Amino acid sequence: MSTILTYIAISDGKLKRSSLEVLSHCKSLADAAGASCEAVVIDANASSFIEGIQKYGASKVHVVEDPIFKNHMNTPLLKALSKVMSSINPSVFAFASTEGTKDVLGALAANQNAAVIADVASFKLIDGGVTAKRPVMAAKIMNNTEAKSDKVLVSVRSGSYDLNESPESAEVVNIDFSMDDSEMKSTLREIISASGDTIDLNEAEAIVAAGRGVKDEDGKALISELASVLKAGIGASRALTESGVYDPSLQIGQTGKVVSPQLYIAVGISGAIQHVAGMANSKVIVAINKDPDAPIFEVADYGIVGDLYKVLPPFIEEIKKIKS
Amino acid sequence: MPDVYAPLQIKEGELIMDADRMVLNAYDASAVEEALVLKEKHGGEVEVVCIGPAKASETIRKALAMGADKATHIIASGDEEYDSASYAKILSAFFKDKEYDVIGLGKQSQDTDSGLTGSMVAEHLSLPYTTNAVGLEVENGNLVVKRQGDSGQEMIELPTPCAVTCSNDMNDPRIPNLKGIMASKRKPIDQVEISSLGIDETELQADTKVTSYEEKPARQAGKKYEGEAEEVAREVAQLLDTEANVL
Amino acid sequence: MEDKFDCIVIGGGVAGLAAAMTLARNNMKFLLIEKGEFPGSKNVSGGVLWGSDLNKLVPNYWEEEDGGWDRFINHRRLTFMDEQSSFSLDFKSSHFNEKPYTGVVVLRSKFDNWLAGKVQEAIDASDFAMDSFIATDIKVDEVILENDKAVGIKTGEDEFYADSVIIAEGVNNLLTRQVGLQDKYVPADHMLTGIKEIIRFDQKVLEDRFQLNGLSGMSNEFVGWATNGIEGGGFLYTNRDTISLGLVLGLKDLREKKQKPYDVLNHFKQHPTIADAIKGGEVVEYSAHVVSSGDSRVMPKELYKDGILLVGEAANLLMNAGKAIQGMDYAMRSGILAAETIVEAKAKNDYTSAILKEYRKKMDDSYVMKDIKGFQDAVHLLHTDVMQNKVPNLVCDFGRQFFSIKNEPTPKSEKMLLGAVKRHSSLWELAKLGFKARKSL
Ligand SMILES: Cc1cc2nc3c(=O)[nH]c(=O)nc-3n(C[C@H](O)[C@H](O)[C@H](O)COP(=O)(O)OP(=O)(O)OC[C@H]3O[C@@H](n4cnc5c(N)ncnc54)[C@H](O)[C@@H]3O)c2cc1C
Ligand SMILES: Cc1cc2nc3c(=O)[nH]c(=O)nc-3n(C[C@H](O)[C@H](O)[C@H](O)COP(=O)(O)OP(=O)(O)OC[C@H]3O[C@@H](n4cnc5c(N)ncnc54)[C@H](O)[C@@H]3O)c2cc1C
Ligand SMILES: Nc1ncnc2c1ncn2[C@@H]1O[C@H](COP(=O)(O)O)[C@@H](O)[C@H]1O
Repeated sequence: MSTILTYIAISDGKLKRSSLEVLSHCKSLADAAGASCEAVVIDANASSFIEGIQKYGASKVHVVEDPIFKNHMNTPLLKALSKVMSSINPSVFAFASTEGTKDVLGALAANQNAAVIADVASFKLIDGGVTAKRPVMAAKIMNNTEAKSDKVLVSVRSGSYDLNESPESAEVVNIDFSMDDSEMKSTLREIISASGDTIDLNEAEAIVAAGRGVKDEDGKALISELASVLKAGIGASRALTESGVYDPSLQIGQTGKVVSPQLYIAVGISGAIQHVAGMANSKVIVAINKDPDAPIFEVADYGIVGDLYKVLPPFIEEIKKIKS
Repeated sequence: MPDVYAPLQIKEGELIMDADRMVLNAYDASAVEEALVLKEKHGGEVEVVCIGPAKASETIRKALAMGADKATHIIASGDEEYDSASYAKILSAFFKDKEYDVIGLGKQSQDTDSGLTGSMVAEHLSLPYTTNAVGLEVENGNLVVKRQGDSGQEMIELPTPCAVTCSNDMNDPRIPNLKGIMASKRKPIDQVEISSLGIDETELQADTKVTSYEEKPARQAGKKYEGEAEEVAREVAQLLDTEANVL
Repeated sequence: MEDKFDCIVIGGGVAGLAAAMTLARNNMKFLLIEKGEFPGSKNVSGGVLWGSDLNKLVPNYWEEEDGGWDRFINHRRLTFMDEQSSFSLDFKSSHFNEKPYTGVVVLRSKFDNWLAGKVQEAIDASDFAMDSFIATDIKVDEVILENDKAVGIKTGEDEFYADSVIIAEGVNNLLTRQVGLQDKYVPADHMLTGIKEIIRFDQKVLEDRFQLNGLSGMSNEFVGWATNGIEGGGFLYTNRDTISLGLVLGLKDLREKKQKPYDVLNHFKQHPTIADAIKGGEVVEYSAHVVSSGDSRVMPKELYKDGILLVGEAANLLMNAGKAIQGMDYAMRSGILAAETIVEAKAKNDYTSAILKEYRKKMDDSYVMKDIKGFQDAVHLLHTDVMQNKVPNLVCDFGRQFFSIKNEPTPKSEKMLLGAVKRHSSLWELAKLGFKARKSL
């Protein structure tokens, strides 16, 4: 029986929802194909996540636990993934597309001589491999990519699949791992975390994203207030991450993160193609922009033409009223 | 790579670009810029390498016009169906016997957004590497790279030789000035055939293949609310609750 | 000075590229500077390149399957419109299939880039393969004058020197003004704005709809209702698998009647004739660009001065007398003639007006200046209310009667015509118009 394996990413001590989405999808693929749906988690506290993973239908959870995985480093992660692949020999190995997986996916494919399709919007099994749909050309169009190989790696954009619980009492397999200091090819000197306890944009139900139209502290304060009444994550266009107004990890778009929340509110963002590439899959998009011809209105469900400094205060007030 | 912003159309599943032009990948432009800054600060030489058809020479010229010292053009006919893995194999074969301190790549290709080649090359060459670099310094002969991770930035120290894939957030690539453009014409471009790199052609056959293109499910533009700020703001907030159901 | 060029050409549009090609073929050391990312990237206009000068620049250009041009014109149509009707003069002739063609439709982003490639080939084959350049993404900020003679150009911090400068910067002629060949303030009243949509079809559908055969194409100009009362006219050209549909509108009239070009274009598209023509097409590009009116009142003071020649639309070389817009062909011819003059100047090692005035003479002897002078009245006539509104209405009214067959006695055509004339104008007015037209056309 062939195995469909899902990599479960952990970030900031939490299971990444996006990898559970992928697991949910792999579960349905495996069921349809009569394959075994398995998962692997690699972390300093990997075993603490087993329960969470079981809920989504993995029949086996492979666990690699070692303190070295406390922070993301590509050398140990790559070594662990290679070991996992060699021992499990999955026909498909699926990942959520995070910065962590992007860091190792190509290397893993090269190491394992596997075919790889990165950053897909959807994928399914075909005879002898996998076929996937991917946004290309700055996400203007999609292509269908086929990978024919007995080993296929695929990474999936967050929000592509719904979470689907189907609890299973999974068999837990511990995989030995050890690594010599001498094997480390690079050293982690420091981690500069994003300030505060920001909400992970990939997981956020709602996102308030700020663009160049947000010009000063007053504007930032309005964004924060709106985000807090909505319990939303804060995102930003490149215009504001580049100028240091917001942390670079909040950048949404082709270079930054791809998000797909239920509600996306773009404030003072023009809607450049590279920005839209990262948010067009949001369920409901609201745009606030004073330029009626701003391209962001072409993707917005609700477009408010107006000055954000005048629009946001009553908007926030009204939402507070509705919420209470 | 083709200009992703040029008009395009899909005919019977095939992608047709209106303009037959090649441009420098924005992420590669950042890699070239970073290399030039390194050279300015620490000396050395900047060499660019590109695998592509004859018309890719314009793109190579652009990197030379920015200030790179020399170039290698690995000639591909353009008809091959290569994927990232194939390009990574060719690049690795090219670098195998070369001396270098840093291989700089783009973090992804603007047209496909694959983001695979960099770490593949590093793996083939067993190099220390890091991806998605947004900053870079040299300290004690090592490279200290600031990498954009999922929730923050990681400062990673790499010995040389190593590979780094660059984000366009790293810098603002210089636009070649006229002097640079003129100088570029006299800089050498070494033309190399893939067959001369000692790789087995069959190994380059891609495992992945684009079978067709299609339109994205169109997102309908919704309604635009214009008028008095206070009024429209409240109206839309209401609609988010009653109509869109997202509050 | 070793780095000095024989000539620097400013602008890589049709005029600049024609000049560059001629310079390269004559073994001149030159630099062409284009501010767009690539030649054509800023040139959203385009339409029909009339005449056969292209064949001089790129002999047998039609042999290249995927050359820079889209279709050749063998079908021309001039349409008068009122609200419901269109009345056309239609001319199609296999005579136009002969080569060189007398008109090719081009899309500038493709055409200019292709032509630049040909110029590069000519450079490579010249003595100055390593010393002549086409440089893009560079904007010329200033022409350097010494004692009022051009000696080079400035871009950013850099200066480059040359014996001569050809200004081919197009309609926004800032440098032309800087060197004093054009008044600092030219009234916008004699300028027009051109707006255009590119509408895509399945190629087969397009060919069937417009009765195209192979690479044959059609050009159609429109007067009357098309412009919603704004001075100007409309056009429709067939490209490979798209059409260019657009209007040229008077800036002053737009301003006075408070209309936006885009709204007028939408108005045009509502007309049943146009609506039928574009049905099922997808708009893939929209663009707007100022275009000169061809009115001699905005012509520059002179086409040359010491070390400088002015070509193309920078010199307002354009003709729009109703039956076609001619700008690209004028640009091409003026570019060729200017470059030829520079070649002569080099031979004599004299780049002063004394020699460069030859360019003016060549231009005066050419069809360009002859037509511009000869058809000024026609240009003015086209922009009168009679031609813009009354004639199209009258013609359509007549057409409606003439072509309607009702179950009642049919009046004689002459009576129909007279009726139409009375409803929209008067015999006296038309007599005046006829007289003017006879003189001007
Ligand atoms: C290879 C590449 C990758 C890129 N990747 C990304 C990416 O990942 N993410 C990204 O965001 N960008 C990316 N970009 C950059 C992108 O092209 C745009 O430059 C950027 O998105 C612009 O940000 P903006 O919309 O905030 O700013 P602008 O384009 O300057 O727009 C500001 C908007 O705010 C409006 N405004 C101003 N004042 C007010 C006010 N008081 N009230 C209301 N509205 C107001 C204006 O009308 C305007 O529409 C990338 C570019 C390249 C070349
Ligand atoms: C909508 C529309 C439809 C038209 N239809 C037709 C038609 O059917 N037939 C026809 O013959 N004509 C037509 N024309 C007119 C025609 O487009 C122009 O007459 C022609 O383009 C003039 O050519 P040119 O080379 O002089 O100028 P342009 O084509 O405008 O080229 C000038 C070039 O100079 C560059 N440039 C400007 N300033 C600088 C600087 N400082 N430094 C460096 N580079 C600079 C510009 O980027 C540009 O590429 C049309 C025009 C419009 C707007
Ligand atoms: N044909 C090529 N020639 C040179 N470098 C390439 C080529 N293809 C990919 N690369 C490098 O790999 C990076 C992108 O990888 P990918 O997104 O996998 O296509 C680019 O930014 C380049 O640095």
